[in-house]
Amino acid sequence: MLLQAVEVSKIFGGLRAVDNVSFSIETGEIVGLIGPNGAGKTTLMNLISGNLKPENGRIEFNGQDITGCEPNKICRSGVSRTYQIPRPFPDMTALLNVAVGVFCGKHRPHMSLGDAMLDASHFLEFVGLFGKRNTLARDLSLFELRALEMARALATTPKFILIDEVMAGLNQYEGKRAVRLIRKMVEEFHVTILWIEHVMKIIMEATQRVIVLHHGELIRSGIPADVVNDPLVIEAYLGEKIA
Amino acid sequence: MVRVEHKRALLVFRFGDKKFEWPIEPRYWRNPMIGIGLLALLPLIFHSKADFLSLFATANIYACIAIPLGWQITGIGRMNFGPQFFVGVGGYAAGLLSVHFGWGPWQTFPIALVVGLLFGIILSPLTTIAKGLYFSLITLILPLIFLEITCYFRIFQGETGLYGIAPLIMLESIKTEYMVSGYFSLAMMIMYLFIVQKVLSSRVGLYAAAINDDEEVADSLGLNIKKWKILAFVITSVMITMTGWFAAHYFGTFAGVTYLHLPFMLKILLMVMVGGRGDIYGAIYGAYFVVILEKVLTITGSVNYILFPLILMILLLTLREGLYGIYRKHRYREYYPTMRVRK
Repeated sequence: MLLQAVEVSKIFGGLRAVDNVSFSIETGEIVGLIGPNGAGKTTLMNLISGNLKPENGRIEFNGQDITGCEPNKICRSGVSRTYQIPRPFPDMTALLNVAVGVFCGKHRPHMSLGDAMLDASHFLEFVGLFGKRNTLARDLSLFELRALEMARALATTPKFILIDEVMAGLNQYEGKRAVRLIRKMVEEFHVTILWIEHVMKIIMEATQRVIVLHHGELIRSGIPADVVNDPLVIEAYLGEKIA
Repeated sequence: MVRVEHKRALLVFRFGDKKFEWPIEPRYWRNPMIGIGLLALLPLIFHSKADFLSLFATANIYACIAIPLGWQITGIGRMNFGPQFFVGVGGYAAGLLSVHFGWGPWQTFPIALVVGLLFGIILSPLTTIAKGLYFSLITLILPLIFLEITCYFRIFQGETGLYGIAPLIMLESIKTEYMVSGYFSLAMMIMYLFIVQKVLSSRVGLYAAAINDDEEVADSLGLNIKKWKILAFVITSVMITMTGWFAAHYFGTFAGVTYLHLPFMLKILLMVMVGGRGDIYGAIYGAYFVVILEKVLTITGSVNYILFPLILMILLLTLREGLYGIYRKHRYREYYPTMRVRK
């Protein structure tokens, strides 16, 4: 078992954003995380990556307790993430954005700047951004930013990647490219993925298991075909028209 | 002997069997060695003018504050409005020991270093606790509190300040003494420039840039931001403290009113504004600009006190990236090291 969350809760004032959620993810899986807006999906992701600290519950990664650890510690143990709204380092070139990940994702005290650049250019080429290596990150388009974030996430040599809504703001063609990129990522780097997504078609195609959140509670977990037909999920998230 | 040949776009210097080529193209003139060489010539040319040498040293001392500050601003991702606090710490540490115990500059050196280190470590948690504007406000208040303390206790000799601090060197000819002290200030500035340049063009510079751009993201990419912010703050604070130590021994007097008051902060701000935020070469241009501006404005008399902040405000509003920053903006690829991959 790669990741295990046991009765994790997060409370913002009077709102229980994540309420006693327990689930586990096996190595090599692609797991979808769905739910209506405000269901607590991103909060759950922030809890795993360490950006937020849970009120109670326990999160284990690779047999290690990572509850309430610093984000950098969690990252170095092998968890990486992307953001819903891309957050690159705007005043740095694409190559240097990835180089930060190369330097920091692992303890590499003897790596030179040149070596890190070489490593970074490898990841940039993987996501198809090598031609834009010297462009400032603030000048990249939305799709390129998403690709950059993935390259940056991969550069930290993760075992587990948290992906937050790749499809938001992308057109159909770009979306397809992004999904292809994620699949390629799994094939080549053997990473496990937890994927927040609103586009049901992609969730149905790409993921092996789906977790559904509603009002911070986990209401259903299982293979996509079963989950979509669950009356509880239809009522909470999908709406009756599709059913 | 050195033989000089002119070959198309190259100047070739031959010394024995050694050859050195210098391309005659404007883009090779931006070499820092040329600038440093020109600065090193200045005291020799104006060796008979004491006031000029004093200006020269002042500019170098200002640059010694602005250069570490450039690293600090990027390294902690916050604007520090009170670097003069550490100038005060270093100056008073050196001054008090020299005036009350008769210590020389090399005896006060380690004490000033340790005191700066202590204050740096004590204040360093601010870089992680206080965010954005709060950090700026706290650092703005610190020198003013220090100023109050210096006025309250008699040991600091209040507004007259400490005088009779041991000079850096004692020579028979006062003119040579001025010139050698001027070179000392230049050497210190070049040393700071060298250190900060080396640090910022290494991986630490990359970390500093990442922290400056987005702390949270840097943290979730595995960068221990607390460690690097505290390191950047403490090291630069010690460097600024040593500038205070130098200023105290160079001028022989040290008064909190000169360094800890808001006008001095305005000068530092103007230096940073002219040089571009967090640009170390720009800091030198900024320091010399401020010193020359100050000298020119003294002609206007007491209007000086209004003109200076006015110029600052105009620059703040019109030149967000500073004069040198505008030039830098067109060459952003040189800002951080880039690798060229052959196809």
